[in-house]
Amino acid sequence: MSRGATTVGAEGSALLKWVSTLSLLVVVAIPCLFIVLQAVFPEIGGGSFSAPFSALYKTLADASLVGLAGNTILLGLGTVVFAVMFAFPLAALRALFRVPGALIWDGLLLIPFMIPPYIAALGWIMTLQPRGYLEQLTGLNLAPVLFSVPGIMIVMGLNTFSVVYFVLSRTFETVGARYADVGRVFGANQWRSFWRITFPLATPGLAASLLLVFAMAIEEYGTPAALGRRIGFEVLVTGIENRVAEWPVDLPGAATLSMVLVVMALAAFMLQRWLLERRDYRIVGGKPQAFEKRPLGLLSVPTVILFGFVSFLATGLPILAILATALSQTISGGLTLSNMGLQNFQELLATGSDGLRALGNSLTLGVSTALLAGVLGAITAYAVVKGRGRFRIVLDALSITPNALPGVVVAVGIILAWNQPWLPITPYNTPMILLLAYCCILLPQPVRYATAALHQLGDNLEAAARVSGAGPLRAFFRITFPLILPSMITAMILVFAVASRELVASLLVAPIGFQTIAVFIWQQFDQGSMGLGMAMAFCAILVTTLIPLALISVLRWLSKDSVASLN
Amino acid sequence: MRRLTLAVLMGLMATTAHADVTVYSAGPKALIKKLADGFTKATGTDVNVFQATTGKVMARLEAEASNPVADVVVSASWGTATDFAARGLLLSYDSPNAKNVPDFLKIDGAVAQGVAGLAIAWNPTSGTPKPAEWTDLAKPEYKDLVTLPDAAASGATYTLIEAFVANGRGDDLKAIADNGAIVAGANKAALNPVLQGAKAAVFGAVDYITMAAAAKGETVEVIFPESGTVVAPRPIMILKSSQNQDDAKAFIDYVLSEEGQRHVASVHLMPSRTDIEVDRPLIGDLKLLSNDGAPSRDEVLAQFAETFK
Repeated sequence: MSRGATTVGAEGSALLKWVSTLSLLVVVAIPCLFIVLQAVFPEIGGGSFSAPFSALYKTLADASLVGLAGNTILLGLGTVVFAVMFAFPLAALRALFRVPGALIWDGLLLIPFMIPPYIAALGWIMTLQPRGYLEQLTGLNLAPVLFSVPGIMIVMGLNTFSVVYFVLSRTFETVGARYADVGRVFGANQWRSFWRITFPLATPGLAASLLLVFAMAIEEYGTPAALGRRIGFEVLVTGIENRVAEWPVDLPGAATLSMVLVVMALAAFMLQRWLLERRDYRIVGGKPQAFEKRPLGLLSVPTVILFGFVSFLATGLPILAILATALSQTISGGLTLSNMGLQNFQELLATGSDGLRALGNSLTLGVSTALLAGVLGAITAYAVVKGRGRFRIVLDALSITPNALPGVVVAVGIILAWNQPWLPITPYNTPMILLLAYCCILLPQPVRYATAALHQLGDNLEAAARVSGAGPLRAFFRITFPLILPSMITAMILVFAVASRELVASLLVAPIGFQTIAVFIWQQFDQGSMGLGMAMAFCAILVTTLIPLALISVLRWLSKDSVASLN
Repeated sequence: MRRLTLAVLMGLMATTAHADVTVYSAGPKALIKKLADGFTKATGTDVNVFQATTGKVMARLEAEASNPVADVVVSASWGTATDFAARGLLLSYDSPNAKNVPDFLKIDGAVAQGVAGLAIAWNPTSGTPKPAEWTDLAKPEYKDLVTLPDAAASGATYTLIEAFVANGRGDDLKAIADNGAIVAGANKAALNPVLQGAKAAVFGAVDYITMAAAAKGETVEVIFPESGTVVAPRPIMILKSSQNQDDAKAFIDYVLSEEGQRHVASVHLMPSRTDIEVDRPLIGDLKLLSNDGAPSRDEVLAQFAETFK
């Protein structure tokens, strides 16, 4: 099991390599190129190459940059710590024991993906601020906890820990199935076999999900903007957003700060890569697996309480706050029965309303993005993990870059690239531009998930297919793709959830007159209709949660539990 | 699978309507919707609207500069109009309907669509005495109970801070800051804690937003301090790059028509025409602070950040 052994025996079809390269060029490289051009040539928006580098030096020499960068790293690491604290015990319990109501917990823990982070932050503010819902109900005022740097980290940790939970519990399950049992046969006790065998073998999944959380945290806008601004805690993304969203706009400055952010994400990515390449993590061979989870016994009650507590914080509290606001006729009326009513929902769901159209638009875009980014991500990860040659690292780096690009900057890059007057046809000002933007922003998710899954896939299966006469394409689609499908479905659900509620890029590149869920919510907030906005948020969360759950149920029923990781 | 997706989206593209006038608008969505619908009804010309904040509208215009899409721009910040005019981006147009708009609400290439005033927004159920003056918010009764919009994010609040600085009232700002006032993002982010009762008052609230909240039944009052305040005119302008200048001019005519100005008043903004009667304090009823002699924007913002850090 030497270094680099993963490439031996796998070929990586040349066709897949080219599909992946071309798509990444169009979806990721072109907008990125224009962001770099914008940073270097401040007048590029007007088609001029004058005054190169003038804005770049000004932004990089700005004394506040160090503070912004420091806060960004602090926030990223803090969020990762809290996400692991929430996810690790739950994932281990879920994977190795028979947790009562396991599927219900999984469903509940899926919901934080579906809650737009800025909505969750607003929910927390409405609940915890002085005279907020918590004080109205219990007299307790926890505002000082919320409006603090650790408070921001906890809220962001609660928004993101499900990523770690789902990856870890699945990986623990797969590993626990065979290797930990071997350890126990040789006399290790349960804890020892977990810490010495299961945990180390789960490293790829853990590293991949931690990188995702770190990247999500440094790229996240809504929570730091809603909470951080109140205490003067500015990060790179809020600095970038300020430069784009506040007149006079400073696009070159925003582009430059984004490049700093990309460098950070790439550094985290190199670290993850280095960790993965030190060992061999292949755990899925060709042999059938049978694994009996152990009963919890006396630990059942504390386990259920733990699951319940974390689910409540991550899912219950934000949803209840959203619902309370949506049902309130006025905010100042508070939580009294006479102030409650369904007016906001009636207005939202009236036939032919803007709200229904926005829902339809976002769901169509969400599904399209999930399919496109999912397939593209799987192909790219395959070309990177099982292919050969130097281009692999370029593809891999290109696929992670958007993870660190704030949505608003991707939007600027896309406008610059696709609104050039000499283009004969362009997707700009059509819904296609949103599909391009979402694919660009979300491609890293399926790539990360597929990469982690492929790292654990032995080459012998594909080699067997090739020996039996299948071509490289057929081997990929018949053998490799089905084996990584469970991971891909998780990734695609994540993509669907995020794409159907993406705000910052949508606000800027949405075709004229075209509304999505997030744009609709934002416009309601903007004109002071907080209740109507929250009613839309609630319906959107409901729909984006029920669709993936229905999909998973159908798949489970079709596969009759043969796809282990879907449960 | 990809091909199918493409086909579906091509279908989506085909249904995108191509309207005649393209308007990029900041500010209340309800207003631009009424204006667009009313204009279409009156002239038969379709209007396509992109609605966002002033900053986002400007960012999109800047990124599109090599191939502009918009015909008409409505902004919430008068400074954007003077800046665009200085850069030669605006089409000079003197609408016949603008003759009742006072001169200080017009420049070559832009005219005010409506005007917002700056005020104190106060929650009567907050258990605090009703404030009458800006400086009241520095009193101990309002300790830790005041919010204000970020002057960098709200053009209107910026104008107020600028006037305070120009009139040598920096100490008043300092006193309010020392009393625990917090800067809470843009206009809505400053108002929401006051509605829920977490805070008692907004220093520098945009009046029409607060009035709209009150009209919805929120317990909040608008108070114009007698020592004076500022107004934020909202410019509407035609881009010189517009390929459809005649319809763009017709749209400006409509916005400044009596019907258009009624729509402006319906969202609690002051109409820019002086001959439209509405049930709210108008520019003539307010004492206005002068902004003469104010330092540059960067200096004002630096002083603001220093005071409220």
